[in-house]
Order: sequence, then C-alpha cells, then structure tokens
Amino acid sequence: MSTIKETTLPKHLQYKETGFKKSSNVIQALSIDILLWGYTSLVTYKVIYQKLIMNMRHADFTWSQPLAALGVGAIISLILFMTKFSIGRASKGLYEIDENETYMKQPFMFLGYFIIILTFVVGLQVSQVSMREFLSEAGLTGARRIFTALFQPNFAIIEPALFAAVETIYMAFIATAISLPFAFLLGFFAARNLMSNSPLTFAIYNLVRFYLNISRSIEPLVWAIIFSVWVGIGPFAGMLALCLHSISSLAKLYSEQIENISDGPIEAMTATGAHPIQVIWFGVVPQIVLPYLSFTIYRWDINVRMATIIGLVGGGGIGTMLMQYQGLAKWNEVGLLVIVIAIIVWIMDYSSSKIRASIK
Amino acid sequence: MSTNILEVKDLQKVYPNGTHALRGVSFDVVKGEFLVIIGLSGSGKSTLLRCINRLHDPSSGSVKFNEEEVTTIKGSDLRQVRSKIGMIFQHFNLIPRKTVLTNVLTGTLSKTSVTKSIFGIYSEEDRAKALSLIELVGLSGKENHRADNLSGGQQQRVAIARALMQNPKMLLADEPVASLDPATSHSVMQYLKKVNEELGVTILCNLHFLSLVRQYATRVIALKGGELIYEGSPKEIDEEWFRTIYGEEAVEVTID
Repeated sequence: MSTIKETTLPKHLQYKETGFKKSSNVIQALSIDILLWGYTSLVTYKVIYQKLIMNMRHADFTWSQPLAALGVGAIISLILFMTKFSIGRASKGLYEIDENETYMKQPFMFLGYFIIILTFVVGLQVSQVSMREFLSEAGLTGARRIFTALFQPNFAIIEPALFAAVETIYMAFIATAISLPFAFLLGFFAARNLMSNSPLTFAIYNLVRFYLNISRSIEPLVWAIIFSVWVGIGPFAGMLALCLHSISSLAKLYSEQIENISDGPIEAMTATGAHPIQVIWFGVVPQIVLPYLSFTIYRWDINVRMATIIGLVGGGGIGTMLMQYQGLAKWNEVGLLVIVIAIIVWIMDYSSSKIRASIK
Repeated sequence: MSTNILEVKDLQKVYPNGTHALRGVSFDVVKGEFLVIIGLSGSGKSTLLRCINRLHDPSSGSVKFNEEEVTTIKGSDLRQVRSKIGMIFQHFNLIPRKTVLTNVLTGTLSKTSVTKSIFGIYSEEDRAKALSLIELVGLSGKENHRADNLSGGQQQRVAIARALMQNPKMLLADEPVASLDPATSHSVMQYLKKVNEELGVTILCNLHFLSLVRQYATRVIALKGGELIYEGSPKEIDEEWFRTIYGEEAVEVTID
C-alpha cells in the first residue's frame, strides 16, 4: 500500500508538462477565448449598440462583421490570456486554481456571468418579446373572439371529424405495423453486444447506427412534406413519413433492449453447439419479446399524436381537417376538432400505459 | 488409444482489458474422472472452463479434446466439438418464459436444422429422450412448467438435463452450486455424481466448498492467480495446502 497521497486535482485540471500536449492545450485554450470574446463583441455591437442604443430597425449584416468581431476577440484574448480572466486557460487546466475557492467565485467566471446575461438580453431582443403586443387592445379582442368560438364547438361536423380521427388512428397503426419487421431486423444489427465480435460485423453495426441517427434526426414533419409531393397529399404520405421515423426509433429502442439482456442464455446456447441464428432465436429473442411489445404499443401511441401534427402539412386525417378549418378561420369547427384530438390522445395514452403495465 | 479425454497445455488467456487470467496452465483429464477445480474467485477457474469449449478464445496454448485440437477450429467444426461438451452454470442460464421441456430440447440444437428449431419442430425420439431426462433429474410432471418459476435447485437440474440432451462425452460445471443452499447443493452434486458414475460422463467442475470437493471429486486441481499450484487426490488437501490455495488468513467453512 502506498502511503503517499496521489495529487487530488481532477484530471482535466492537472498541469500537463509534455511539450506537444501543452502546446496543443494552449492553442485550444486560446481558441476558446477568441471565440468567447468574438461572440461577446459581435452581439454587443449588433444588438446592444445597433438595436437598443441606436434603435436601428433594419441593421444591415455583412460577413465582415463577424470577421471583425473575431479580430477584436483575438486582440482582447491575447491581452487577457496570461491573466486569471482567461476561461480557455482555466478550462484546459493551464493555471492552478485555488482549491478552497468555489468555481463560482473565480475571476474568469465574471466573463461567464457577463456572457449569460448578454445572451439573455439578446435572446429577448431576437425573440421580439414585447409586453405591449401581448396586452394590446386589438390583440386581446381577437383572442377573446377565438376562445369564445373554441368553447362553443360546432357539433354539426362531428361525423366527418370522427371519420378523420379514425383515419389518423389507422394510419398510425399501419405505420407502426409496417415499420415493425424492418426495425426488428435492424435492431439486431444495431446491438453492440451482438456485433462487436468481428471487424466486419462491427463495421455493419457502425453503418446501421449512423443511418439510424441520421434518419431519426430528420423530423417526420419534414418527411411528410417530401412524401406529400412524392405520393400526393393524403394519409399515404403521412403514413410513409411516420414509417420512416418509426423504423429508426424502434430499431434504436430494440437494440438498446438487446444490449441490456443477460448473457447467460446466450452462453448456454453457444455451449450446446447451436448455430448463431439458433443462439439468437433461443438466447436473445425470448428475453426481448415483452419489452418489444411494450415499445411497439407505445410507438403506436406516439404515432397517433404525430399523425395529427403531420396532418397539418398534408398528411391526411384529422390534422389536415384542422388545418383546413383553421385556414378558413372557422373557429367553432376548430374547437370541435381540438376536443376530438384531445379525447383520442387521452384514450391512446391511457390504454397504451394500461396495456404496457399489464405485460411487464 | 489414449485414455485422456482432454489435454490442456500451457494455456494462457489475456483479456482485452489486460487481465492475465491464465498463465500457462497444463493438465490432463482421464475419461470418466470427476475432476474438481478449486481456487479463489478471480483465480481463473471460470476462464479455464470457458477456454475449453471456446466460449472464450485462449490467447495461446493448446486444448485437445479426444485428441482433436480445439483452439484453432472454427464454424461448424467448433459447433461439433461444443455439442460433445455439455455445460452447466452458476446462474443456470435457462431460457426465461419457456417450459422445462423446451429448455431441455435446446440441448439438441446442434443436431436440429435452423428452420426446424425456429418453428419448434423436434423429432419424436428427441421429445421422448427429453422426457426421460426430465425424469432422470427427478422433475417428472414439471415438463410443461415455466422454467423460471422453478426453485434454484430444480432449475439447475433442468440445466443438467439440457446438457445431457447433447449426449456429452464431458460436462463442464461452472460453480454449479454456488447460488444454492447447502441441502440443494448436495442434491445437485448427487445428480452430477450419478451422471458421472452411471452414464460415464467425464466431469470438470469448479467448486468453492472443500467439504463438497472431498465428497465428490476423484481428483483435484487448484488454481491461484491463473497458475496451477496443486494437483492430486482430494484427501491430500490438508491445512497447509488449504492456506496456500486460499491465503494465510483463510478458515475452512464446511457445508454438510
């Protein structure tokens, strides 16, 4: 047992003495400082000076402005770099920080506080937050008119509304059902514990993961717009959009479930001399069936909600109906549709959570 | 013909994280033996068993099963060898939510085609054999019970039946009684003894309790830090050997 206490500094704060490591750290620290000071000077000039002080309505933007700001940032950074006001040096652990002082009281944090306050002020300006608009006479009258109409829903359109709702539910169901087998297969290829045995399978794993991440990061709303051009406005476009998104989301959930299973049955099946497919069928599948079922039902629930939104951009169902009445400013009809949507979402949410709880 | 069913020579295993689990282990196993491997947790016992049927790949050295080198074979050759070596585990490793019968039938997977096994189609002989093995381990009438609803000792007996379904020449048992109570431990060990004596299956078994070792083993090897430090009869393990294997401060705990 060694009696000498190891240095207590956290690893990222320890002073690094090796030449290359140190110079690379200095460059990174300087870049952090330049970016922070560049940002500070740019928004100070654009928003605080041009908007708030000069009250310019349409401040012109040229690419020379951010470049100039970076230049200013570089000058300030170089001046302050060796002082304790450098966030870059502090975060790369390039100077000793007094252990007894909390981080919040370090000198470099004052620049941090300044940037947070500055960003808040700029944010208010960019979001055009205005109490005057919020409480304006004309605005309030308009809102009152819509709210009164919403609370007096027009039950004359209940029939087409229910039909549209049924369309939405079926559309969501078909999207879930069609994506199921694809997601099921992809789930195995995206499970690290099954795929990390050989370089080839690991390459496939990375490829599938990459595809899943990319396709999941494109919102179904965007897919719905693309598909409504491709196959025409209607439930089919919405269904395809939901399908694509469901495949990626379900495959991701499935693969995480596979990664969490116990290795025991897999080991046991391998030890009997079973074929790899048999190992998966007997060692993996029985462990994942119930969680899969649970995820899939939940996905249907999500798809019903998404199908409503997708309808707004031409994906069919009750969403499309809502968009049409809203375009005509028929608020009593919109009021009814909102009620129907709320009831459906509530029923789906309630029953899916009940079913999922009962198959645990 | 040699009477050795297994010959292990200079077996080394280094895990990717740098753990040197086995440092040149060599020993032979004679057909029909009940060989027990003892040693502390982390001494390499489990790794040793898993290197024999290649659940883990050894880093170097040789393992010969029935005079066939197993460290280099792949694919169907490897599955062929595995099918002749049954294995049972500390945590039983049965398939959850499946019946006892289905679990025992998985012992024939290596002889059943992939499609047939996926649709659960097994031959009549296999079913009859599975039922007779369930009877052998004293679980008649439980064949349609879910395996994960059985007690620990019963689950381990299902695992023994599954291993026997393979018609194994050798059985690897990785701490088969470590998660069972003393009475159940003896019952499971009795079944292993029966398998060894009546069916003539060679057994390699990892154990913790020396009282069980003395009662069931025909020969003992001991591992310490990945090296073989003792080989001999279970009766020859005395106080001194015990302290060498388990450390100076160890006190023997008995189970009876």
